[in-house]
Amino acid sequence: MSVVVVGAGLAGLTAATELAARGIEVTVLEARDRVGGRTHGIEVAPGQWADAGAAYLGARHTELKSLIARLGLATVPTTMEGRSRFSVGGGPQTVDGRFPPLNAIALGGLFEQLDEVTKAVRQDAPWLTADAERLDRLTAAEWIERQVPHPDARLFFPLFLGEMMAADPADVSVLHMAFYLCSGGGIRYLNAFQGGAQEERVDGGAHRLSELLAAKLGDRVLLGHPVRAVEQTGDRLRVHSDRGVHEGEAVVVALPPLLADTIEYRPGLPVPRSSQATGRGCAVKVQLVYPEPLWREHGLSGWSVSSDGPLLSTVDDSPPGGVGILTGFVTGSEARSFAALDGPSARQAVLDQTRRLFPQLPDPIGYHVTDWISDEYSRGCYAALFGPGDWLTAGPHLTTPHGGVHWAGTETSTEFFGLMEGAIRSGRRAAEEITGS
Amino acid sequence: MSTDGTVDGVVGIFRRVLESDRVQPDSDFFELGGDSLLATRVLSAIAREFGPELTLADIIDAPSPLALAKLIEGVAA
Repeated sequence: MSVVVVGAGLAGLTAATELAARGIEVTVLEARDRVGGRTHGIEVAPGQWADAGAAYLGARHTELKSLIARLGLATVPTTMEGRSRFSVGGGPQTVDGRFPPLNAIALGGLFEQLDEVTKAVRQDAPWLTADAERLDRLTAAEWIERQVPHPDARLFFPLFLGEMMAADPADVSVLHMAFYLCSGGGIRYLNAFQGGAQEERVDGGAHRLSELLAAKLGDRVLLGHPVRAVEQTGDRLRVHSDRGVHEGEAVVVALPPLLADTIEYRPGLPVPRSSQATGRGCAVKVQLVYPEPLWREHGLSGWSVSSDGPLLSTVDDSPPGGVGILTGFVTGSEARSFAALDGPSARQAVLDQTRRLFPQLPDPIGYHVTDWISDEYSRGCYAALFGPGDWLTAGPHLTTPHGGVHWAGTETSTEFFGLMEGAIRSGRRAAEEITGS
Repeated sequence: MSTDGTVDGVVGIFRRVLESDRVQPDSDFFELGGDSLLATRVLSAIAREFGPELTLADIIDAPSPLALAKLIEGVAA
Protein backbone atom coordinates (compact mmCIF):
# COMPACT_ATOMS: atom_id res chain seq x y z
CA MET A 1 0.00 0.00 0.00
CA SER A 2 1.16 3.58 -0.61
CA VAL A 3 0.00 6.81 1.01
CA VAL A 4 0.69 10.43 0.13
CA VAL A 5 0.86 12.83 3.08
CA VAL A 6 0.34 16.52 2.41
CA GLY A 7 2.13 18.74 4.92
CA ALA A 8 5.29 18.08 6.93
CA GLY A 9 4.27 19.62 10.21
CA LEU A 10 3.99 17.54 13.36
CA ALA A 11 0.66 16.03 12.27
CA GLY A 12 1.79 14.95 8.79
CA LEU A 13 5.17 13.68 9.94
CA THR A 14 3.55 11.72 12.79
CA ALA A 15 1.09 10.13 10.36
CA ALA A 16 3.88 9.31 7.89
CA THR A 17 6.08 7.85 10.63
CA GLU A 18 3.25 5.64 11.94
CA LEU A 19 2.36 4.44 8.44
CA ALA A 20 5.98 3.74 7.52
CA ALA A 21 6.38 1.74 10.72
CA ARG A 22 3.56 -0.53 9.49
CA GLY A 23 5.36 -1.17 6.22
CA ILE A 24 3.37 1.29 4.15
CA GLU A 25 5.13 3.23 1.42
CA VAL A 26 4.79 6.93 2.22
CA THR A 27 5.59 10.17 0.43
CA VAL A 28 5.34 13.46 2.31
CA LEU A 29 4.79 16.56 0.18
CA GLU A 30 5.75 19.83 1.85
CA ALA A 31 5.22 23.23 0.24
CA ARG A 32 7.95 25.04 2.14
CA ASP A 33 11.68 24.51 1.96
CA ARG A 34 11.59 23.34 5.58
CA VAL A 35 9.61 20.93 7.72
CA GLY A 36 7.89 21.76 11.00
CA GLY A 37 4.82 23.77 9.97
CA ARG A 38 3.82 25.99 12.85
CA THR A 39 6.96 25.08 14.78
CA HIS A 40 10.02 26.97 13.63
CA GLY A 41 13.42 27.60 15.15
CA ILE A 42 15.51 30.76 14.97
CA GLU A 43 19.20 30.48 15.84
CA VAL A 44 19.56 33.63 17.93
CA ALA A 45 23.18 32.90 18.93
CA PRO A 46 25.50 30.09 17.84
CA GLY A 47 23.82 26.84 18.90
CA GLN A 48 21.05 28.67 20.77
CA TRP A 49 17.54 28.51 19.42
CA ALA A 50 14.32 30.39 20.01
CA ASP A 51 10.90 28.99 19.20
CA ALA A 52 9.33 31.31 16.65
CA GLY A 53 6.22 29.13 16.62
CA ALA A 54 4.74 26.59 19.04
CA ALA A 55 6.95 26.26 22.08
CA TYR A 56 5.35 25.05 25.31
CA LEU A 57 4.15 21.80 26.77
CA GLY A 58 2.89 20.37 30.02
CA ALA A 59 2.52 17.01 31.74
CA ARG A 60 -0.87 16.32 30.16
CA HIS A 61 0.69 16.44 26.70
CA THR A 62 1.45 12.77 26.90
CA GLU A 63 1.92 12.02 23.19
CA LEU A 64 4.30 14.94 22.82
CA LYS A 65 6.26 13.93 25.89
CA SER A 66 6.63 10.39 24.63
CA LEU A 67 7.71 11.64 21.19
CA ILE A 68 10.33 13.87 22.81
CA ALA A 69 11.65 10.87 24.72
CA ARG A 70 11.61 8.59 21.67
CA LEU A 71 13.58 11.11 19.64
CA GLY A 72 16.18 11.46 22.38
CA LEU A 73 15.34 15.12 23.00
CA ALA A 74 15.08 16.80 26.39
CA THR A 75 12.89 19.51 27.86
CA VAL A 76 13.79 22.62 29.82
CA PRO A 77 11.51 24.13 32.46
CA THR A 78 10.09 27.58 31.81
CA THR A 79 11.23 30.02 34.47
CA MET A 80 8.81 32.34 36.18
CA GLU A 81 10.74 33.47 39.25
CA GLY A 82 10.68 37.08 40.28
CA ARG A 83 8.32 39.99 39.94
CA SER A 84 6.19 40.89 36.94
CA ARG A 85 5.68 44.10 35.02
CA PHE A 86 2.21 45.28 34.11
CA SER A 87 0.91 48.12 31.99
CA VAL A 88 -2.84 47.68 32.17
CA GLY A 89 -4.52 51.07 32.22
CA GLY A 90 -2.04 53.46 33.86
CA GLY A 91 1.76 53.46 33.75
CA PRO A 92 3.92 50.36 34.02
CA GLN A 93 4.24 48.90 37.49
CA THR A 94 6.06 46.06 39.20
CA VAL A 95 3.97 43.45 40.98
CA ASP A 96 4.71 40.26 42.94
CA GLY A 97 3.58 37.11 41.17
CA ARG A 98 1.93 36.82 37.78
CA PHE A 99 -1.43 38.38 38.45
CA PRO A 100 -2.30 41.78 36.94
CA PRO A 101 -3.06 44.72 39.24
CA LEU A 102 -6.73 44.79 38.29
CA ASN A 103 -9.86 44.20 40.36
CA ALA A 104 -9.38 40.58 41.44
CA ILE A 105 -13.06 39.99 42.15
CA ALA A 106 -14.03 41.27 38.70
CA LEU A 107 -11.43 39.03 37.05
CA GLY A 108 -12.55 36.15 39.25
CA GLY A 109 -16.10 36.73 38.05
CA LEU A 110 -14.90 36.59 34.45
CA PHE A 111 -13.05 33.33 35.11
CA GLU A 112 -16.12 31.88 36.84
CA GLN A 113 -18.20 32.64 33.74
CA LEU A 114 -15.53 31.28 31.41
CA ASP A 115 -15.25 28.14 33.52
CA GLU A 116 -19.00 27.65 33.41
CA VAL A 117 -19.26 27.92 29.63
CA THR A 118 -16.13 25.79 29.22
CA LYS A 119 -17.57 23.00 31.37
CA ALA A 120 -20.86 23.09 29.44
CA VAL A 121 -19.27 22.23 26.09
CA ARG A 122 -19.27 18.71 24.61
CA GLN A 123 -15.55 18.42 23.96
CA ASP A 124 -15.74 15.35 21.72
CA ALA A 125 -18.52 16.89 19.59
CA PRO A 126 -19.00 20.61 20.26
CA TRP A 127 -21.92 20.80 17.81
CA LEU A 128 -23.88 18.51 20.15
CA THR A 129 -23.45 20.87 23.12
CA ALA A 130 -26.74 21.86 24.74
CA ASP A 131 -27.64 25.26 23.31
CA ALA A 132 -25.00 24.79 20.58
CA GLU A 133 -26.87 26.87 18.02
CA ARG A 134 -26.99 29.95 20.21
CA LEU A 135 -23.38 29.57 21.37
CA ASP A 136 -22.23 29.05 17.78
CA ARG A 137 -24.00 32.21 16.58
CA LEU A 138 -22.73 34.49 19.33
CA THR A 139 -19.20 35.93 19.15
CA ALA A 140 -17.03 36.08 22.26
CA ALA A 141 -17.15 39.90 21.91
CA GLU A 142 -20.95 39.86 22.11
CA TRP A 143 -20.79 37.42 25.01
CA ILE A 144 -18.50 39.61 27.15
CA GLU A 145 -20.68 42.62 26.35
CA ARG A 146 -23.73 40.82 27.75
CA GLN A 147 -22.20 38.81 30.57
CA VAL A 148 -19.44 40.87 32.13
CA PRO A 149 -20.02 44.50 33.12
CA HIS A 150 -16.83 45.37 35.04
CA PRO A 151 -14.35 47.51 33.04
CA ASP A 152 -11.32 45.64 34.45
CA ALA A 153 -12.73 42.32 33.26
CA ARG A 154 -13.48 43.82 29.86
CA LEU A 155 -9.97 45.23 29.61
CA PHE A 156 -8.45 41.89 30.55
CA PHE A 157 -10.64 39.60 28.45
CA PRO A 158 -9.07 40.30 25.01
CA LEU A 159 -5.60 39.97 26.55
CA PHE A 160 -6.54 36.63 28.05
CA LEU A 161 -8.14 35.31 24.88
CA GLY A 162 -5.18 36.55 22.84
CA GLU A 163 -2.79 34.70 25.09
CA MET A 164 -4.87 31.52 25.30
CA MET A 165 -5.89 31.16 21.66
CA ALA A 166 -4.47 34.06 19.59
CA ALA A 167 -7.95 35.36 18.96
CA ASP A 168 -9.67 38.69 19.07
CA PRO A 169 -13.04 38.24 20.84
CA ALA A 170 -14.87 39.35 17.69
CA ASP A 171 -13.22 36.54 15.67
CA VAL A 172 -14.54 33.49 17.49
CA SER A 173 -17.90 32.08 18.45
CA VAL A 174 -18.59 31.44 22.12
CA LEU A 175 -18.84 27.75 21.23
CA HIS A 176 -15.32 27.81 19.79
CA MET A 177 -13.91 29.75 22.72
CA ALA A 178 -15.48 27.34 25.18
CA PHE A 179 -14.37 24.32 23.17
CA TYR A 180 -10.80 25.59 22.81
CA LEU A 181 -10.45 26.26 26.53
CA CYS A 182 -12.01 22.88 27.36
CA SER A 183 -9.90 21.01 24.82
CA GLY A 184 -6.69 22.44 26.24
CA GLY A 185 -7.54 21.28 29.77
CA GLY A 186 -9.56 24.21 31.13
CA ILE A 187 -8.64 27.81 31.88
CA ARG A 188 -6.38 27.09 34.85
CA TYR A 189 -4.33 24.46 33.01
CA LEU A 190 -4.05 26.47 29.79
CA ASN A 191 -3.07 29.62 31.66
CA ALA A 192 -0.51 28.10 34.04
CA PHE A 193 3.20 27.78 33.52
CA GLN A 194 4.16 25.56 36.47
CA GLY A 195 1.63 22.73 36.62
CA GLY A 196 0.09 23.87 33.36
CA ALA A 197 0.43 23.92 29.58
CA GLN A 198 3.53 26.16 29.64
CA GLU A 199 5.58 24.10 32.07
CA GLU A 200 8.40 23.19 29.68
CA ARG A 201 9.95 23.81 26.28
CA VAL A 202 11.80 21.43 23.99
CA ASP A 203 15.54 21.81 24.56
CA GLY A 204 17.01 23.17 21.33
CA GLY A 205 13.60 24.16 19.97
CA ALA A 206 10.31 22.45 19.14
CA HIS A 207 11.24 22.40 15.45
CA ARG A 208 13.75 19.66 16.31
CA LEU A 209 10.86 17.21 16.66
CA SER A 210 9.90 17.60 13.02
CA GLU A 211 13.50 17.72 11.84
CA LEU A 212 14.29 14.42 13.53
CA LEU A 213 11.08 12.76 12.31
CA ALA A 214 11.85 13.98 8.78
CA ALA A 215 15.45 12.77 9.00
CA LYS A 216 14.20 9.25 9.77
CA LEU A 217 11.84 9.39 6.80
CA GLY A 218 14.76 10.54 4.63
CA ASP A 219 14.04 10.99 0.94
CA ARG A 220 10.38 10.16 1.47
CA VAL A 221 9.93 13.82 2.49
CA LEU A 222 9.86 16.15 -0.52
CA LEU A 223 10.29 19.88 0.18
CA GLY A 224 9.15 22.62 -2.19
CA HIS A 225 6.15 20.56 -3.35
CA PRO A 226 3.03 22.72 -2.86
CA VAL A 227 -0.05 20.63 -3.56
CA ARG A 228 -2.74 22.08 -5.81
CA ALA A 229 -5.20 19.24 -6.40
CA VAL A 230 -6.24 15.81 -5.14
CA GLU A 231 -8.03 13.65 -7.66
CA GLN A 232 -9.78 10.34 -6.90
CA THR A 233 -10.66 7.76 -9.51
CA GLY A 234 -11.83 4.43 -8.18
CA ASP A 235 -9.30 3.29 -5.58
CA ARG A 236 -6.48 5.48 -6.86
CA LEU A 237 -5.69 8.97 -5.70
CA ARG A 238 -3.52 11.38 -7.64
CA VAL A 239 -1.96 14.30 -5.82
CA HIS A 240 -0.88 17.15 -8.08
CA SER A 241 1.94 19.29 -6.78
CA ASP A 242 3.88 22.01 -8.61
CA ARG A 243 6.61 19.42 -9.19
CA GLY A 244 4.56 16.51 -10.49
CA VAL A 245 1.94 13.90 -9.71
CA HIS A 246 2.12 11.43 -6.82
CA GLU A 247 -0.17 8.43 -6.62
CA GLY A 248 -1.41 6.48 -3.66
CA GLU A 249 -4.29 4.45 -2.33
CA ALA A 250 -4.90 7.00 0.40
CA VAL A 251 -3.97 10.61 1.12
CA VAL A 252 -3.55 12.36 4.44
CA VAL A 253 -4.13 16.10 4.22
CA ALA A 254 -2.36 17.41 7.31
CA LEU A 255 -3.01 21.11 6.86
CA PRO A 256 -4.90 23.83 8.74
CA PRO A 257 -8.51 24.17 7.45
CA LEU A 258 -7.94 27.46 5.60
CA LEU A 259 -4.97 25.95 3.77
CA ALA A 260 -6.69 22.61 3.09
CA ASP A 261 -9.42 24.58 1.32
CA THR A 262 -6.92 26.05 -1.17
CA ILE A 263 -6.52 22.55 -2.66
CA GLU A 264 -8.89 21.52 -5.41
CA TYR A 265 -10.57 18.18 -4.67
CA ARG A 266 -12.01 16.08 -7.50
CA PRO A 267 -14.71 15.07 -6.69
CA GLY A 268 -15.33 18.13 -4.54
CA LEU A 269 -15.78 18.12 -0.78
CA PRO A 270 -19.41 17.92 0.34
CA VAL A 271 -18.68 20.58 2.98
CA PRO A 272 -15.72 22.99 2.87
CA ARG A 273 -13.33 22.79 5.82
CA SER A 274 -13.64 26.50 6.53
CA SER A 275 -15.97 29.41 5.76
CA GLN A 276 -15.96 33.17 5.36
CA ALA A 277 -16.26 33.31 9.16
CA THR A 278 -13.13 31.19 9.76
CA GLY A 279 -10.24 33.40 10.81
CA ARG A 280 -6.49 33.05 10.84
CA GLY A 281 -5.03 32.60 14.30
CA CYS A 282 -3.72 36.09 15.02
CA ALA A 283 -0.21 35.68 16.39
CA VAL A 284 3.02 37.50 15.73
CA LYS A 285 5.94 36.40 17.85
CA VAL A 286 8.77 38.79 18.64
CA GLN A 287 12.01 37.58 20.11
CA LEU A 288 14.31 40.05 21.86
CA VAL A 289 17.83 38.82 22.50
CA TYR A 290 20.03 40.07 25.36
CA PRO A 291 23.61 39.08 26.27
CA GLU A 292 22.07 37.21 29.21
CA PRO A 293 18.70 37.24 31.07
CA LEU A 294 19.47 40.70 32.48
CA TRP A 295 16.00 41.18 33.99
CA ARG A 296 16.75 38.50 36.57
CA GLU A 297 19.40 40.77 38.17
CA HIS A 298 16.58 43.21 38.82
CA GLY A 299 14.39 40.60 40.49
CA LEU A 300 12.11 40.40 37.46
CA SER A 301 10.77 37.23 35.86
CA GLY A 302 10.53 38.72 32.38
CA TRP A 303 6.77 38.18 32.51
CA SER A 304 4.80 41.25 31.55
CA VAL A 305 1.30 42.06 30.38
CA SER A 306 0.45 45.29 28.57
CA SER A 307 -2.89 46.41 27.27
CA ASP A 308 -1.20 49.13 25.20
CA GLY A 309 0.95 46.75 23.09
CA PRO A 310 2.33 45.93 20.72
CA LEU A 311 3.76 43.13 22.92
CA LEU A 312 0.69 42.10 24.94
CA SER A 313 2.82 39.79 27.03
CA THR A 314 6.47 38.83 27.38
CA VAL A 315 7.97 35.59 28.68
CA ASP A 316 11.52 34.58 29.60
CA ASP A 317 12.43 31.90 27.04
CA SER A 318 16.18 31.96 27.68
CA PRO A 319 18.06 28.73 27.11
CA PRO A 320 19.79 27.55 30.31
CA GLY A 321 23.21 29.18 30.69
CA GLY A 322 22.89 31.08 27.42
CA VAL A 323 21.73 34.39 26.04
CA GLY A 324 18.63 36.10 27.37
CA ILE A 325 15.52 35.71 25.24
CA LEU A 326 12.36 37.64 25.94
CA THR A 327 9.54 36.36 23.77
CA GLY A 328 6.85 38.90 23.08
CA PHE A 329 3.37 37.83 22.04
CA VAL A 330 1.37 40.08 19.77
CA THR A 331 -2.08 38.57 19.39
CA GLY A 332 -5.64 39.28 18.35
CA SER A 333 -6.46 42.65 16.79
CA GLU A 334 -3.12 44.04 18.00
CA ALA A 335 -1.38 41.42 15.82
CA ARG A 336 -3.30 42.55 12.75
CA SER A 337 -2.27 46.19 13.16
CA PHE A 338 1.31 45.22 14.09
CA ALA A 339 1.62 42.96 11.04
CA ALA A 340 0.51 45.87 8.84
CA LEU A 341 3.44 48.08 9.98
CA ASP A 342 6.59 48.25 7.89
CA GLY A 343 9.69 46.62 9.42
CA PRO A 344 11.35 49.76 10.87
CA SER A 345 8.09 51.10 12.35
CA ALA A 346 7.31 47.76 13.97
CA ARG A 347 10.81 47.58 15.44
CA GLN A 348 10.57 51.15 16.76
CA ALA A 349 7.18 50.41 18.38
CA VAL A 350 8.67 47.39 20.14
CA LEU A 351 11.75 49.30 21.30
CA ASP A 352 9.64 52.20 22.57
CA GLN A 353 7.53 49.75 24.53
CA THR A 354 10.41 47.76 26.02
CA ARG A 355 12.12 50.99 27.10
CA ARG A 356 8.93 51.97 28.98
CA LEU A 357 8.25 48.51 30.32
CA PHE A 358 11.82 47.52 31.25
CA PRO A 359 13.68 50.81 31.77
CA GLN A 360 16.37 48.86 33.67
CA LEU A 361 17.37 46.97 30.51
CA PRO A 362 19.55 48.10 27.63
CA ASP A 363 18.11 47.72 24.13
CA PRO A 364 18.25 44.12 22.91
CA ILE A 365 21.19 42.97 20.80
CA GLY A 366 18.91 40.87 18.59
CA TYR A 367 15.38 41.34 17.30
CA HIS A 368 13.35 38.72 15.41
CA VAL A 369 9.76 38.94 14.21
CA THR A 370 7.70 35.99 13.02
CA ASP A 371 4.40 36.94 11.45
CA TRP A 372 2.17 33.88 11.29
CA ILE A 373 -0.91 35.76 10.09
CA SER A 374 0.63 36.59 6.72
CA ASP A 375 2.36 33.22 6.34
CA GLU A 376 1.09 31.68 3.10
CA TYR A 377 1.60 28.09 4.20
CA SER A 378 0.18 28.36 7.72
CA ARG A 379 -2.45 31.07 7.36
CA GLY A 380 -2.48 31.85 11.02
CA CYS A 381 -1.22 30.50 14.32
CA TYR A 382 -1.81 29.04 16.90
CA ALA A 383 -4.79 27.58 15.02
CA ALA A 384 -7.76 28.40 12.82
CA LEU A 385 -10.32 30.59 14.57
CA PHE A 386 -13.80 29.13 14.16
CA GLY A 387 -16.23 32.00 13.78
CA PRO A 388 -20.01 32.03 14.03
CA GLY A 389 -21.53 29.02 12.28
CA ASP A 390 -18.29 27.09 11.79
CA TRP A 391 -18.69 24.42 14.45
CA LEU A 392 -22.21 23.53 13.42
CA THR A 393 -21.41 23.51 9.69
CA ALA A 394 -17.85 22.25 9.28
CA GLY A 395 -17.30 20.79 12.77
CA PRO A 396 -19.11 17.46 12.29
CA HIS A 397 -17.03 16.74 9.15
CA LEU A 398 -13.56 17.66 10.38
CA THR A 399 -12.36 14.07 10.65
CA THR A 400 -14.72 12.39 8.19
CA PRO A 401 -12.68 10.86 5.34
CA HIS A 402 -13.57 12.07 1.85
CA GLY A 403 -13.23 8.79 -0.04
CA GLY A 404 -9.54 8.01 0.32
CA VAL A 405 -8.66 11.44 1.71
CA HIS A 406 -8.03 11.48 5.45
CA TRP A 407 -7.62 14.58 7.57
CA ALA A 408 -4.99 15.47 10.15
CA GLY A 409 -3.71 18.65 11.75
CA THR A 410 -4.23 20.05 15.21
CA GLU A 411 -7.65 21.44 14.20
CA THR A 412 -8.89 17.87 13.68
CA SER A 413 -8.12 16.87 17.26
CA THR A 414 -10.77 17.55 19.86
CA GLU A 415 -8.08 16.91 22.47
CA PHE A 416 -5.57 19.74 22.78
CA PHE A 417 -6.89 21.52 19.67
CA GLY A 418 -4.41 24.14 18.50
CA LEU A 419 -1.46 22.66 20.35
CA MET A 420 1.43 20.40 19.30
CA GLU A 421 -0.20 17.63 21.34
CA GLY A 422 -3.35 17.89 19.21
CA ALA A 423 -1.29 17.73 16.02
CA ILE A 424 0.45 14.52 17.10
CA ARG A 425 -2.81 12.90 18.22
CA SER A 426 -4.41 13.80 14.88
CA GLY A 427 -1.54 12.25 12.92
CA ARG A 428 -1.83 9.00 14.87
CA ARG A 429 -5.60 8.94 14.39
CA ALA A 430 -5.31 9.44 10.63
CA ALA A 431 -2.72 6.65 10.37
CA GLU A 432 -4.98 4.33 12.39
CA GLU A 433 -7.92 5.11 10.10
CA ILE A 434 -5.87 4.03 7.11
CA THR A 435 -4.37 0.89 8.58
CA GLY A 436 -7.51 -0.06 10.48
CA SER A 437 -5.60 -0.57 13.72
CA MET B 1 -25.04 33.03 59.30
CA SER B 2 -23.08 31.05 61.89
CA THR B 3 -19.32 30.70 61.49
CA ASP B 4 -19.91 26.98 60.87
CA GLY B 5 -22.20 27.85 58.01
CA THR B 6 -19.64 30.23 56.58
CA VAL B 7 -16.87 27.62 56.87
CA ASP B 8 -19.07 25.07 55.09
CA GLY B 9 -19.81 27.61 52.40
CA VAL B 10 -16.12 28.36 51.81
CA VAL B 11 -15.30 24.64 51.81
CA GLY B 12 -17.94 24.26 49.09
CA ILE B 13 -16.40 27.07 47.06
CA PHE B 14 -12.90 25.54 47.41
CA ARG B 15 -14.20 22.12 46.33
CA ARG B 16 -15.91 23.52 43.27
CA VAL B 17 -13.02 25.74 42.19
CA LEU B 18 -10.27 23.18 42.94
CA GLU B 19 -12.41 20.33 41.61
CA SER B 20 -11.38 18.32 44.66
CA ASP B 21 -13.31 16.47 47.37
CA ARG B 22 -10.27 16.56 49.63
CA VAL B 23 -10.93 20.08 50.91
CA GLN B 24 -11.32 20.29 54.71
CA PRO B 25 -11.89 23.37 56.88
CA ASP B 26 -8.17 23.61 57.62
CA SER B 27 -6.92 22.80 54.08
CA ASP B 28 -4.45 25.20 52.47
CA PHE B 29 -5.80 26.46 49.14
CA PHE B 30 -2.39 26.70 47.52
CA GLU B 31 -1.24 23.29 48.76
CA LEU B 32 -4.28 21.77 47.06
CA GLY B 33 -3.23 23.20 43.70
CA GLY B 34 -4.78 26.64 43.94
CA ASP B 35 -3.10 29.45 42.01
CA SER B 36 -3.85 33.12 41.56
CA LEU B 37 -6.37 32.54 38.77
CA LEU B 38 -8.36 30.10 40.92
CA ALA B 39 -7.95 32.39 43.94
CA THR B 40 -9.77 35.20 42.09
CA ARG B 41 -12.63 32.79 41.44
CA VAL B 42 -12.82 32.10 45.18
CA LEU B 43 -12.84 35.85 45.92
CA SER B 44 -15.59 36.37 43.37
CA ALA B 45 -17.68 33.53 44.83
CA ILE B 46 -17.18 34.82 48.39
CA ALA B 47 -18.32 38.29 47.35
CA ARG B 48 -21.34 36.78 45.60
CA GLU B 49 -22.36 34.43 48.40
CA PHE B 50 -21.36 36.35 51.54
CA GLY B 51 -20.88 39.97 50.49
CA PRO B 52 -17.38 40.92 51.68
CA GLU B 53 -14.88 41.82 48.98
CA LEU B 54 -11.63 40.22 50.02
CA THR B 55 -8.29 40.58 48.22
CA LEU B 56 -5.64 38.23 46.85
CA ALA B 57 -3.48 39.23 49.83
CA ASP B 58 -6.26 38.03 52.15
CA ILE B 59 -6.37 34.55 50.68
CA ILE B 60 -2.57 34.35 50.71
CA ASP B 61 -2.55 35.28 54.41
CA ALA B 62 -5.64 33.18 55.23
CA PRO B 63 -5.54 30.27 52.80
CA SER B 64 -7.94 27.89 54.61
CA PRO B 65 -11.76 27.93 54.70
CA LEU B 66 -11.55 28.34 58.49
CA ALA B 67 -9.32 31.40 58.29
CA LEU B 68 -11.27 32.93 55.42
CA ALA B 69 -14.56 32.37 57.27
CA LYS B 70 -13.18 34.34 60.25
CA LEU B 71 -12.22 37.14 57.88
CA ILE B 72 -15.65 37.10 56.24
CA GLU B 73 -17.40 37.17 59.63
CA GLY B 74 -15.06 39.94 60.79
CA VAL B 75 -15.82 42.09 57.75
CA ALA B 76 -19.53 41.32 57.89
CA ALA B 77 -19.80 41.98 61.64
